[in-house]
Amino acid sequence: MLMQGFEALFEQVEFIVIAAVVLLLAYLALEHREIVYSVFFFGFMAATVAGFYLLLEAPFIAGMQIAVYTGGISALIIFGVLLLPRAQGSSLEVLQTPRMRRIGMVLSATVMTLSAVLALIFPWYESFPADRPAIAQDLAGLAAWLWGEHGIYVQLVALMMLTAVIGSVAILKMEKTEKLRPLKDRPGLGSRDEKKNEGTSETEAHDDEHQDAKEAGTQ
Amino acid sequence: MIPLSWYLVVAFVMIGLGAYGMVTKRNLIRIVIGAEIMGNGVNIALVAFSLYNPVFSFTGQGLIILVISVTAAHTALALVLMLMYQTRYSTVDLGEPITVEARKSD
Repeated sequence: MLMQGFEALFEQVEFIVIAAVVLLLAYLALEHREIVYSVFFFGFMAATVAGFYLLLEAPFIAGMQIAVYTGGISALIIFGVLLLPRAQGSSLEVLQTPRMRRIGMVLSATVMTLSAVLALIFPWYESFPADRPAIAQDLAGLAAWLWGEHGIYVQLVALMMLTAVIGSVAILKMEKTEKLRPLKDRPGLGSRDEKKNEGTSETEAHDDEHQDAKEAGTQ
Repeated sequence: MIPLSWYLVVAFVMIGLGAYGMVTKRNLIRIVIGAEIMGNGVNIALVAFSLYNPVFSFTGQGLIILVISVTAAHTALALVLMLMYQTRYSTVDLGEPITVEARKSD
């Protein structure tokens, strides 16, 4: 009996420590001056959130959280910081007026308090069925759930990720083509006055093209 | 056993923090970090529900696996969009291009 009480107390202490660390790291990730440090804090926060999943008896999700968030998404954001040199020496905190910041803080604090109070006072247990089946959180059951009757969702996610990858590549390629032939060099777009100063032969060629197009239109 | 409401409180506070970051920050990378923090809060709430309501048991965990994969994909897409934003406006701060334009016209 005493052992059980001690265990429950230990679990609660664990939860409080993890929650404090997670919230502190999340705040630091948003507020630290150096963007690289804030990405690191985000990675640590994602790793600490895995502690919640361990407490919730979902070890596979904990592993996945660490692998994807800490290993994947943090690395991705760090790559982003490296590829965007202006991101480090940003920013434009000048535009972020103290008044705007205060309004944002007050708004989000209100939302946080209201929802936290709701979470504390709402009788969640009444909405759950009284006769609970035994909790089966084992990995085999999860795999059966995921790949048995819900395999179509996994395939949908795979399709979505493929679309995201292809979309990213397509967007970057679009960017490159645009760089090779900037928009302002095309007839009809951008400033035509600059072109007249450059030389007559080019403008004549453009005009010929225009006339051809017009003729094609009339025919 | 820890009551469900504790997990929900943490999840809601994380969602609020992420929303605060997304509203007040101008750096695109910080906005993405705020979105990720919000997503983490939602994940905690889902897993907590899946443990405390056995009807949900695998639904919650399976959903989390799908959500995490989609999050990875959309972060990659956000990175590409940030790159594009920088090449176009040579900054990663939202709102700066407008002010630069305004300064030029002055």
